[in-house]
Amino acid sequence: MPKNSKGIEVAEILPDQCIGCQICVAECPVGAIELNDEGVAEIDPEVCIGCGKCYDVCPVGAVSFQKEKAADKSAKEKKEKAAEGVSGYEGMAVFIELDGDGGSDVAWELVGKARELAQARQTKVIGFLLGSDCKKVAREAVAWGCDEVHLMEHSGLSQYFSASYGEALTQLVDRVRPEVLLMGATHQGRDLAGIVATRLNTGLTADCTELDIDEDSGLLLMTRPTFGGNIMATIYCEKHRPQMSTVRPKVMQAGERDPEREGTIREHEWELTQEGLPQLVESVSEVSAEEVDISQYPVLVVAGKGACDEQALPLLQELAELMGGAVACSRPVAESGILPYERQVGQTGKTVAPKLYIGVGVSGAIQHRVAIQGSEKIMAINTDPEAAILQIADVGLIGDYTRIIPEMIKQVKERMES
Amino acid sequence: MHVVCLLKQVPDTAEVRIDPETNTLIRTGVESILNPYDMVAVEQAVRLREQHGGMVSAVTMGPPQAEAVLRDAMAQGADQVYLLSDRAFAGADTLATSYTLFKAVQKLDEQQTVDLVLCGKQAIDGDTAQTGPGVATRKGCSQLTYCQAVDWVDPDSRTIQVKRKLQDGFERLKAELPALVSAELELATPRRCPLPNLIRSLQAEIPVWDADTMGADKELLGLKGSPTWVQSIFSPQPKEPGPRFQAGEDPSRAVSEGLQTLFQDEDFAEKLLKH
Repeated sequence: MPKNSKGIEVAEILPDQCIGCQICVAECPVGAIELNDEGVAEIDPEVCIGCGKCYDVCPVGAVSFQKEKAADKSAKEKKEKAAEGVSGYEGMAVFIELDGDGGSDVAWELVGKARELAQARQTKVIGFLLGSDCKKVAREAVAWGCDEVHLMEHSGLSQYFSASYGEALTQLVDRVRPEVLLMGATHQGRDLAGIVATRLNTGLTADCTELDIDEDSGLLLMTRPTFGGNIMATIYCEKHRPQMSTVRPKVMQAGERDPEREGTIREHEWELTQEGLPQLVESVSEVSAEEVDISQYPVLVVAGKGACDEQALPLLQELAELMGGAVACSRPVAESGILPYERQVGQTGKTVAPKLYIGVGVSGAIQHRVAIQGSEKIMAINTDPEAAILQIADVGLIGDYTRIIPEMIKQVKERMES
Repeated sequence: MHVVCLLKQVPDTAEVRIDPETNTLIRTGVESILNPYDMVAVEQAVRLREQHGGMVSAVTMGPPQAEAVLRDAMAQGADQVYLLSDRAFAGADTLATSYTLFKAVQKLDEQQTVDLVLCGKQAIDGDTAQTGPGVATRKGCSQLTYCQAVDWVDPDSRTIQVKRKLQDGFERLKAELPALVSAELELATPRRCPLPNLIRSLQAEIPVWDADTMGADKELLGLKGSPTWVQSIFSPQPKEPGPRFQAGEDPSRAVSEGLQTLFQDEDFAEKLLKH
């Protein structure tokens, strides 16, 4: 244990472990910690008073300090206390984004997740709905699992604008006061969530892949990939409500739709102030000629760099169609122009969660892997036994896909007939 | 016109790797860069100044070494830059970050009325896309996220028209100034920096604004002003990889064994093979 010139046992940062989050910098009561040129925290031993605060708060254990780690206990106590301080908020709410005349798939997926969370908290599921004609969707929301639906119907809400929707949703949340608010991490959801969180002065965690209730504190634990999916962070929001989170489509699973389910639907008044709203000049839906939404298929045969060949497509297509699936691709293939960008799987393409993912010549860069991790089964066909995708594959076939796939087509047919 | 660019210094995430032995980030050799979406925002800002005259300001919040991205912005053509750096800013989540950036925009507004705030749609390290809407909401200005093109800006009627990307297409919106525009990569292709700019950027003294300079409420800054806290950080749990089969010259056996493994769960097999 190093001592400084005053004989105080000081803390030290382990540079290899530090992720440069600066939480210790903020916590240090004497300002002894600074980020160095490499983005790693450094403690000035002569300024350090050996209080161990940095040790307690470091999320990655990058502080070396001679002290019993009190963090677990104190964090727990702190959370319990905090949860009491924000009483008066109840229920798991979902913002129901519209898709055409109906609710979007991501909304129902979030309602499914909200039911699980509500179960853990012994509370209700609330749906928030904005639009000009959406009572039918409200009844759908009940069928998918909402106990209460709060809606604002207004001709001025027929078109999404940041300002009008931001105002309307803020008002609804303010009146209903849910403890949690989930929204789809779509273009609209992300645009809207930032407004509502800022207006309500509460915490918002983007693109969560896991949501849980902390057993001790009842707080929502929000886990999300960060640093381009290289690490996961679990985040909580202690003193502010609602605890807000956005979730990408296809990450959660919708529950059972039950048209007989009962729930209450409440309408809220809202006066729209047209002033200052943008004016829609043009709106174009760009649907590709083939109109394929790869996220909707139970089977995806995904062409990677190793199968970036126009002549391979019919073969992949045949395998996919055999099982009711579609052909998709990784980024290099989309960039080569062989398949359109709509078919691209990955961080810059679509997140998919088919029952069966078959990667053909896909190496499995991290940006691709995070976008397919929701798949039920993953099969990888690759000539390279070291390909990263094999680390997450349930089955790996090592070899030339032009030989393997015809054989697979043959054998799958046999299995279907038997 | 006064255009303000909000910048972020980010690690080049494509280079960040996990050490499989220790399960920690390998940081050595990972360069810090200007967030690529922000670079596009600076280019758009400079083009607007070239069209309409005025001034391009750029700010970033971060530790002292973050001034590197301000020099990048100057090299691209920004007229003035400020580093927002203060111990009190450390540990900020998106809510506290948007407050700090908003205070900077406010201060720049005192110099010359800010017409447009430009930023990247998101940063490549956090991917949250929350800071832009946060600043727009605090400023109470038009919010135009995911922009693929600025069609025109009319300083006289104080309006702007943009092309915004939607989930399945795009829309054109006409909105009032001031506005916040967040950039998709298509918005503008950054130019090669002219040599005189480059030299100027390397020689420039970068002024620093702290919390007091901006008149910021310390309760709303940094960790203190952040509702969200990080409980833990971990590497994604690697899934136990399944068996691998060597296909070789005659793949029939490998395929047979592979399919056997894949379809051993009868429910799963039924769903896919019987339809």
